Amino acid sequence: MSNTIKEVTRRCFLKVAGVATVMTVTGIHFVDTAKAAALDFIGKRQTSVYNADANIYAVRKSQDNPMVQKIYAKDGFLHDGPCGHKSHDLLHTHYTDRSAELKKVRAKGIKLKL
Amino acid sequence: MLEIEKVMSTGQLPKSADPTTYAMVQVDQDKCEACGNCHEVCPTGVIQAVGSDGKHQVVDPAACINCGQCLLNCPYGAIYEQVSFVDEILAKIKDPNTIVVSMPAPAVRYGLGEPFGMPPGTYVGGKMHAALRKLGFDLIWDNEFTADVTIMEEGTELINRIAKPDKKHPLPQFTSCCPGWVKFVETFYPELLPNVSTCKSPIGMLGPLAKTYGAQQTKTDPKKMYTVSIMPCIAKKFEGLRPEMNASGYRDTDATITTRELAYMIKKAGIDFVNLPEVQPDPILGESTGAATIFATSGGVMEAALRLAYEVLSGQKLTNPDIKAVRASEGIVTASVDVPKFGKVNVAVASGLDNAVKLCEEVKAGKSKHHFIEIMTCPGGCVNGGGQPLDPNIRVSDAGSPLLKTYKKRFGMC
Ligand code: SF4
Ligand code: SF4
Repeated sequence: MSNTIKEVTRRCFLKVAGVATVMTVTGIHFVDTAKAAALDFIGKRQTSVYNADANIYAVRKSQDNPMVQKIYAKDGFLHDGPCGHKSHDLLHTHYTDRSAELKKVRAKGIKLKL
Repeated sequence: MLEIEKVMSTGQLPKSADPTTYAMVQVDQDKCEACGNCHEVCPTGVIQAVGSDGKHQVVDPAACINCGQCLLNCPYGAIYEQVSFVDEILAKIKDPNTIVVSMPAPAVRYGLGEPFGMPPGTYVGGKMHAALRKLGFDLIWDNEFTADVTIMEEGTELINRIAKPDKKHPLPQFTSCCPGWVKFVETFYPELLPNVSTCKSPIGMLGPLAKTYGAQQTKTDPKKMYTVSIMPCIAKKFEGLRPEMNASGYRDTDATITTRELAYMIKKAGIDFVNLPEVQPDPILGESTGAATIFATSGGVMEAALRLAYEVLSGQKLTNPDIKAVRASEGIVTASVDVPKFGKVNVAVASGLDNAVKLCEEVKAGKSKHHFIEIMTCPGGCVNGGGQPLDPNIRVSDAGSPLLKTYKKRFGMC
């Protein structure tokens, strides 16, 4: 187990500051100054999230949520348990292969990063 | 055009619009200064310079995953939203025949205070519930409840995949809560779709549960229910419009708004947000845990899932739920967690799709040692989502922006 969040945030800030220095050479460093500031800002939100987890929420594991236990109980709405039949119908899904659309984009001569 | 918390919006979605042919964001040609910042932060590069003046455009909706990172990082406020449900929601709230249901995501409560002058990241969960009640929402349900349900479903799915990996359900298992990532994988890595968890996202679960179980428990006619997904995210607008999301027999998510749009509604209603007393969500689909709230940040889904997997696989209680090794603010974080009676569970966490690509390539090449991989599109996770209040340091027009001077100098604007 590793650092405290404060240290992680600091580390990430330093790394981005490093990137900013490299960018200076290519002349767009002001853009990356913005990014470094943004990460600091995000760090504050992240710190608050972990603080709420540790100090505001009385229960800290999903399986200990009383309403979760109720919904999966033997006489509950999802009585056949997680990944059971009813869960499958209501809570699971399938995905669509959208690569044909991408081919069309490329066929138009549009260059992407990937 | 309407201004919503510094972001312009063209408003209502055209009723005939097919979400797959419609980009959720676009660039205002009059405001674009051709700086290219949006292209820099865009994970696919689909927002790019067109024409000789270098002004940018989202050139094809098929390659846009609607994450809104371009919008968050535009120094000129040139990028606007093309879909807003705000007016429709306000009308539904007024309609006595409609039961309007709130479904706010974890990350909303870490950003919503900012438009009201509170410091960045202030936790406003209780005030948010109070404000929703004051706005006239009938049932204050919370998407954090289904974040917990997601852990139960996705954790169980992972344990099943480990027990019996097959071609249709191979390892590693990828998370599926982030709609930007889901559209990305569908478009750019369709061969990895079997690896993506079949679980809907928490909001994809709350819609159908509200209109079945929730309707049953509260004796509400599901036909009259209007579910409002409140998200830190623009890609969720696309997710809500997916045609397959109708498991309840109705549209599972009727409307999707961002944190910014909720702040706008609260201000417009004249609610004194800062001084609201804290209020609990309604029972049935409202209660949640610390494991649910950490979905807001990169690494959170992983940590919450490990809190379950550890106990199920080892049969032992996890005394300290903090699994700091997977808390990630940038790059790729990998960890190997020792689970008694089971062995090692290998996990990876990445936010930002350039990092996700590295993990995808590893899986494609058959070289991945991981069991479970969490991917979030937005760097840092949903707290930094495209629907969150803007960082005051980014807009050049914002008073006090440290960048203002640099820009002025650079473009001779003094
Ligand atoms: S919304 Fe995301 S994918 Fe679409 S253009 Fe903007 S940054 Fe790129
Ligand atoms: S990381 Fe969160 S905010 Fe960003 S696209 Fe994914 S779900 Fe939306």
